[in-house]
Amino acid sequence: MEFIENYLYYIASFGLILIGLYIMLVKDNLIKIIIGLSIIDTGVNILIISMGYLKKGTAPIFSRESLLPSRMVDPVPQALVLTAIVIGVAILALALTLAIVLYRHYGTLNVRKIRDLKW
Amino acid sequence: MVNPVLLIIIPLTGAFAIPLFGFISKYISKYISLISTMVMAVIVGSLIPKVINNPIIVMIGGFKPPFGINLVVSPLSLFFVGVISLLGFLVSIYAIKYIDDGDIDKYHLLFLLFITGATGVVLTGDIFNLFVFFEILCISSYALVAYNRDKDGVEAGIKYLIQGSVGSAFILIGIALLYGLCGSLNMADIASQIHSVNSPLLSLSLFLFLTGFGIEAAIFPLNGWLPDAHSSAPSTISAVLSGFAIEIGLYAVLRIVCTVFGATDILHFLAGLGIFTLLIGEISAFKQDDIKRLLAYSSIGQIGLILFAFSLGSPEGVAGGLFHILSHALSKGLLFLAAGYMIYKAGSREIGKMKGLGTRMPVTSFCFLIATFSLVGLPPFVGFPSKFIIIKSALSTNQGYFFVLVGAALLGTVIEISYFFKLLQNIFSKTGEDKVDEAPLSALIPIIIMALIILAVGVYPEIVSRFLHLASANFMDRMGYINNILGAL
Repeated sequence: MEFIENYLYYIASFGLILIGLYIMLVKDNLIKIIIGLSIIDTGVNILIISMGYLKKGTAPIFSRESLLPSRMVDPVPQALVLTAIVIGVAILALALTLAIVLYRHYGTLNVRKIRDLKW
Repeated sequence: MVNPVLLIIIPLTGAFAIPLFGFISKYISKYISLISTMVMAVIVGSLIPKVINNPIIVMIGGFKPPFGINLVVSPLSLFFVGVISLLGFLVSIYAIKYIDDGDIDKYHLLFLLFITGATGVVLTGDIFNLFVFFEILCISSYALVAYNRDKDGVEAGIKYLIQGSVGSAFILIGIALLYGLCGSLNMADIASQIHSVNSPLLSLSLFLFLTGFGIEAAIFPLNGWLPDAHSSAPSTISAVLSGFAIEIGLYAVLRIVCTVFGATDILHFLAGLGIFTLLIGEISAFKQDDIKRLLAYSSIGQIGLILFAFSLGSPEGVAGGLFHILSHALSKGLLFLAAGYMIYKAGSREIGKMKGLGTRMPVTSFCFLIATFSLVGLPPFVGFPSKFIIIKSALSTNQGYFFVLVGAALLGTVIEISYFFKLLQNIFSKTGEDKVDEAPLSALIPIIIMALIILAVGVYPEIVSRFLHLASANFMDRMGYINNILGAL
C-alpha cells in the first residue's frame, strides 16, 4: 500500500504514456492517433510535475516568516511543464490542421488507406 | 565584442517582423530572411578569432551556471552556426524566385524560425533549452514540409509530425528522469555528477534520449519519415533539411551521449548502427526513379557515415565527421537546389525524363556534376578530404571491428557511385534538343557559389581543417567543457 502511495504519480504518468503509445500504434484513425499523442503529452507533464512534488508542500514564495525552504515544492519542473504544454498545443494544432488538409485530399482519415508514399 | 546572443535574436526578430511588414507587402519577407541570415554569417565570421583560444560562455540574465540558461560559444557550435547561416543565406537567395506564389510571408517566417531553432540547439548549454529549440526546429520543419499543401507534402508532413513528436515526448521523459536523478538542467552540471548517480533509470534516460534525437537524426531504424519528408518538401526546404537539420539531430545525440552521459562504451554500437544506416540508405537509393527521393536516401547514407566518424571516439574521427558535415551540407544543398529547377524544366521528377538537360541547362548541370563528384568523394572536391580523413582515422584505431565497418562503408560508396552515375548519364545524354533554357539568375548565384566553395575547400582543405581539429578537440574534451562552464563563476 505504501508502495502505491509513494509511486502513485509515476505509475499514473507511465500508465498514461503507455496508453498513448498503444493508441498510436494500434488505431487507424488519424484523429485517434493525434489524441494518443495528446495523452502521451499529458503523461509526460504529470511525470515532470511529480519530480518536484512534495506532500503538503507550499509554493516557493517567502510570503510568511514561518515558511521553510525544505517544505517548498521545486518550482523548476512547473516552469518546464508550462513550456511543454505550450509546445504540446502547437504540435496538436499543427497536427489537426494537417489532418484537415489530408482529409480534403484523400476523403478519409484512415491511415491504412493513405499510403501513396512508400519506401 | 558582438554578443553571441544576437545569433539567436536576429532570426527570431526577423521572423516576428515578417507579419508586421506583411501589412505593407508580403514580398518584403524575402529580403528579411536574406538579410537576417547574412548578418548571422557576418557575426559568425567576427566571432571565430575570439573563440579559438577560449569558448565564450554567455549567461542569460546574469544567472551563473548551474542556474539559469547559458550559451556556450565554442569552436564546435560556431562551426555549426557557420554552416547554418551560410546555407540559410544561399537558400534565401534561391528562394527569391523559387518561392513566388502562395503564402510567401508564412514560408519565410517558418524558415527563419527553423534557422533560430537550429542555431539555438547548437549554442545552448542547458538541456531543457536544447529541447525547446529542438521543438522550434521540428515544428517549423513539419509545417515547411507541408508548405505546398499538395497530396504528398501533407502526407509526408503528418508522418514526420507523428514520428517526430513521439520522439520529442521521449526526449522530455528523458529530461524529467535526468532532472529527478541529478537535480539540475545544466548540461555541464549534469555531466559533472552523472558518474556518482547509480540507478537503472539512468540507462532508461539515455535510451530515451537516443531514440528521441535519433528520430530527428534519421538513424536507422528511426528514419522512416526522411525520404518522404525530404522529397515532398519544396526544394529549398529539402536543401536545408538535408543540409543541416539532420546533422543538428546528430549533434544533439552525440552531445548527450559523449558530454552529458560520458557513455563512451556505447560508441561501438553507434558505429555499427551508422554503417548499417549507410548501407540501407545507399541500397534504397539505388532503386529510386525519383530524383528527389534518390537524393533523400543518399542523405540517409551520408548521415550514417557521419555517425560512424563521430563514433570512432578519436579527435581525428570527429574532425572527419565535422568535415563531412560541411561537405554534405554544400554538396547535398547544391544537388537539391539544382534539382529544384531541373524538375521544373523537365516537367517531371523521374530520372528517365531528365534526358538532355545537360545541353539545355549547362551551368546548372555542370554544378550538379561537381556536387555529385564531391559527394562520392572524388578529388579535388571537398568530399574527398572529408571521406579520406574518416577512413584514415578509422584505420588508425587498429581494431578489427572498425576495419570491417570501413570495408562496408567503401562498399556503400561503390553503390553510391553507381546510382549517381546512372543519374548523370541520364542528365548528360543527348536528345538533339539543344535550346538553352537556363534557371534564373537568383538560382544560379547560390548554385555557383556552392560549387566554387566545394572546389576551393577541396583543393585547399587547410582553410577549414585547422579550425575543425580545434572544434573536435573541444568536443572530445569533456572535463574541459565542464570546468569551462562551472568554472565561470
